[in-house]
Amino acid sequence: MAEVAYDSASRIFSGNPPVRAVDQLNLDVADGEFLVLVGPSGSGKSTALRMLAGLEDVDEGAIKIGGKDVTNVPPKGRDIAMVFQSYALYPHMTVADNMGFALKLRGVDKGEIKNKVAEAAKMLDLTKYLDRKPKALSGGQRQRVAMGRAIVREPSVFLMDEPLSNLDAKLRVETRANIAALQQRLGTTTIYVTHDQVEAMTMGHRVAVLKDGLLQQCDTPRNLYDRPANAFVAGFMGSPAMNLKTVPLTSEGAKLDGVVVPLSRAALGGASGESLSEVTFGIRPEALGIVPSSEAGMDMTVELVEELGADALVHGAVRIGDSSERFVVRVDGRTPPTLGQNVKVAVRDTSEIHLFHPETGNRLDG
Amino acid sequence: MRRFLDRHWYAYAMVLPVVVVVAVLVLYPLVQGVYFTFTDVNEATIANPVLDRPATYEFTGLRNYLNVLSGDSSYGAFWSTLVRTLIWTFGCVFFHYTIGLGLALLLNRQVRGRSLYRVALVLPWAVPAFISAFAWKYMFNAQYGIVNQVLRAVGLPDPVWLGQSDWALVAVVVVNVWLGVPFMMVALLGGLQSIPGDLYEAAEVDGATPWQRFRDITLPGLRSVSSTVVLLGVIWTFNMFAIVYLVAGPNPNTRILVTYAFERFFSGASRDYAVASTYGVLILSVLLVFASVYRRALREQGEVW
Amino acid sequence: MTFDASSPRVANPAAAARATGFRRGTRSTAASIGLHTALITASLIAVFPVFWVLVTSFKPDARAVETTPKLFNESSLDNYVRVLSGEKGDFLAWFGNSVLIALLTTAIAVFLSATTAYAASRFLFPGKRSLMLSFLVVQMFPFAVLIVPLYNVLLALGLQGTSLGLVLVYCTTAVPFCTYMLKGYFDTIPQDIDEAGRVDGLSPFGVFWRLVLPLARPGLAVTAFYAFLTAWGEVAFASAFLSAADESKTLAVGLQVFVQQNRTEWGHLAAASIVVAIPAVVVFYLVQRFLVTGLSSGAVKG
Repeated sequence: MAEVAYDSASRIFSGNPPVRAVDQLNLDVADGEFLVLVGPSGSGKSTALRMLAGLEDVDEGAIKIGGKDVTNVPPKGRDIAMVFQSYALYPHMTVADNMGFALKLRGVDKGEIKNKVAEAAKMLDLTKYLDRKPKALSGGQRQRVAMGRAIVREPSVFLMDEPLSNLDAKLRVETRANIAALQQRLGTTTIYVTHDQVEAMTMGHRVAVLKDGLLQQCDTPRNLYDRPANAFVAGFMGSPAMNLKTVPLTSEGAKLDGVVVPLSRAALGGASGESLSEVTFGIRPEALGIVPSSEAGMDMTVELVEELGADALVHGAVRIGDSSERFVVRVDGRTPPTLGQNVKVAVRDTSEIHLFHPETGNRLDG
Repeated sequence: MRRFLDRHWYAYAMVLPVVVVVAVLVLYPLVQGVYFTFTDVNEATIANPVLDRPATYEFTGLRNYLNVLSGDSSYGAFWSTLVRTLIWTFGCVFFHYTIGLGLALLLNRQVRGRSLYRVALVLPWAVPAFISAFAWKYMFNAQYGIVNQVLRAVGLPDPVWLGQSDWALVAVVVVNVWLGVPFMMVALLGGLQSIPGDLYEAAEVDGATPWQRFRDITLPGLRSVSSTVVLLGVIWTFNMFAIVYLVAGPNPNTRILVTYAFERFFSGASRDYAVASTYGVLILSVLLVFASVYRRALREQGEVW
Repeated sequence: MTFDASSPRVANPAAAARATGFRRGTRSTAASIGLHTALITASLIAVFPVFWVLVTSFKPDARAVETTPKLFNESSLDNYVRVLSGEKGDFLAWFGNSVLIALLTTAIAVFLSATTAYAASRFLFPGKRSLMLSFLVVQMFPFAVLIVPLYNVLLALGLQGTSLGLVLVYCTTAVPFCTYMLKGYFDTIPQDIDEAGRVDGLSPFGVFWRLVLPLARPGLAVTAFYAFLTAWGEVAFASAFLSAADESKTLAVGLQVFVQQNRTEWGHLAAASIVVAIPAVVVFYLVQRFLVTGLSSGAVKG
């Protein structure tokens, strides 16, 4: 059990120009916390994890585990366990040997290894497979062996690098819940890397969003969703993605297709403080709705309807200024509009409007 | 500096043994060998530590190179020997590659007894070179060799294979082809197995004929392995001393650069180390030129090597 | 040997079956016969020289040079008896020397090329490129013409006339290619395995020793085969660097007594050759199932 701290840690890959894969990362993870690092590919999330594991050099700054500076400590001295995307099971060892290997290296007594492996195997429903080689296992079983290998160690930190990305969709959802429950039960600090924002939202106590090596925001899933710190986080978290459009600003609010959407005072204040004539206007699909044509709203031509069962997603074009912009609206799945139909779309709740600086992307109401 | 060592000391520790061995047993002799090419060193003038005799050879500048490159027959007729070496090398590598590829394609099919065929076909590789040489020398014997016995039996002319004619060159090419095919076959078989099967299925869906599939999928798929084995094949064949010398002996009709270097080195009382080394350096130069041209050609085709 | 370009063979068995026509999973009888005929012919050519030496090894010298080929002609084990009894020299001592030298060469060459190949496969270090290039270049020089400087080096090191000296010389010829081959093989082992091992508590050497080497068995087997063959049956270096005393010769050197000018004792030489070839063929048989994977990954990756 330990807390983890990144202290202005950077990883710079040599090249011309040098690439800052992780740039001045500051992050504190509490003891027992489940922290998810999320971001698109190339965002530096895996590099950040590998720096913590000691598999990647820390070129600037420091990394601490349990208050101890481990920046220059090799992986074996860090008391960590890692689950790899490919699982990285040792092909020449049985499942039991794979799980017990780290203990064996530490000189733990054979009987004790056997007990611990048996215990972990029971927890993961692997008892039947202990004598098999990894080759003879299914994808889901291999994934569990990789988990087991980490658990048996009883490390102070678990590191997981996209451990579910090689599973099929159904198994992924199942395993997602299992991992979260297991972490809850063991109470071990866990850093989990994924590119899947659904995994991030469902599993993490807190989620850190990275882009181009820079930390964008680190907060609880709820706060990330409700108050994204910038347009990137707003667009990345949530599925379907938030509608983000650059629109002209008037003294009353944001101007969309003739309709002026009133804005909160805080947001307007932020915008006028910077004397902006345009803002990046963000609204989630569920905060929009189709209204009767008599009411005020934007005119939208329906271009695509995705039926999801309970809901339907309506994609359509709205004129903003001189250009046609695409919006997504979440509607009741039983009465979706038809293709080519003209509908009126309005903001249901103005408190769900997010405003961002059109250039920096930062949130305007602070 | 500390950081540099910190980061790389594992790597250096792991290559150190090889670097030491190679430096002592390859680099140093090589430098001395290159130095020899500028002298008139031979058995009589070299330092002999056993007899405690000091070296008496003298620096002669470029004389060895001028003598050899003049193409004079008392120095091994360099240019015509080079031409024969090139014929030998490209002849051998051509047959190695085509036969090796043909057999690899056959072995890559589902065929009963495949592992048995594979063992039989790779066998020539496992036989020590001097035994293969002996076996073929015996088989190529003009009177009692089985090759000529068969040729006579079917009414074909029976040449004196290993005599003073170009038949001798044909004979050593045959032996070397027999010897070298297994390596190519095994390497290309591995290359074939690394081509994803769905490429063939995609091509078949697109309506490609078998020949088109071979030309447009198999050959490009083998390009990387082919470029490596052909380069190695050329280098090895160019310097294939053992087979030529053991099968045909010091025969001018099978003389290639490397066997002539050996003749100068071993035969006669003089043991002309200087000329032998000069040949060694020239062989190295020819191969370096070939390798760099080859590499450039590959690079132009977008092959990273 | 025929190379039938009009019906190429393909990697995927299902596709291979399809290539021959509309009947899935079957091949026409004619194609089958053609395939087997080609393979049998090639196999016979590959095996025949060795077979013919075997046949000859049972014949007396005088019968070996008759102008009508016969499988049996006063055949007996006499040649073997005379070769093994040491009539022409201490055959068993030669054999022992050869085994010792070949095994030592194999062990040292595999060790040297494995460590180097691992460093080249896993670490980026300054000088790596030039090291690998130099391995290619040293294969271009006919090293046997450097016997004299090599002799001097070995003398200076006190290794001249010893088995170890000869073994090291063989290693320099085997290691460059073996390193290329093994580097290619190591490249196919995922780096994740190394990293998992590091996290589990291994040092970089530990990863090499406990994870990579056990996983690289096919590659190591081929390397060992190659190194063994380099040493087994080599003549030029062995006659230069081993002492001239009969009991320190290797087989390949010792057997040269059967090849005298103008008069070769074919029967005896054949028997001796078979005895020499047996260990090489045994080693070959042990590794042959690894040959394709072990060699090709090296050649594919270069």
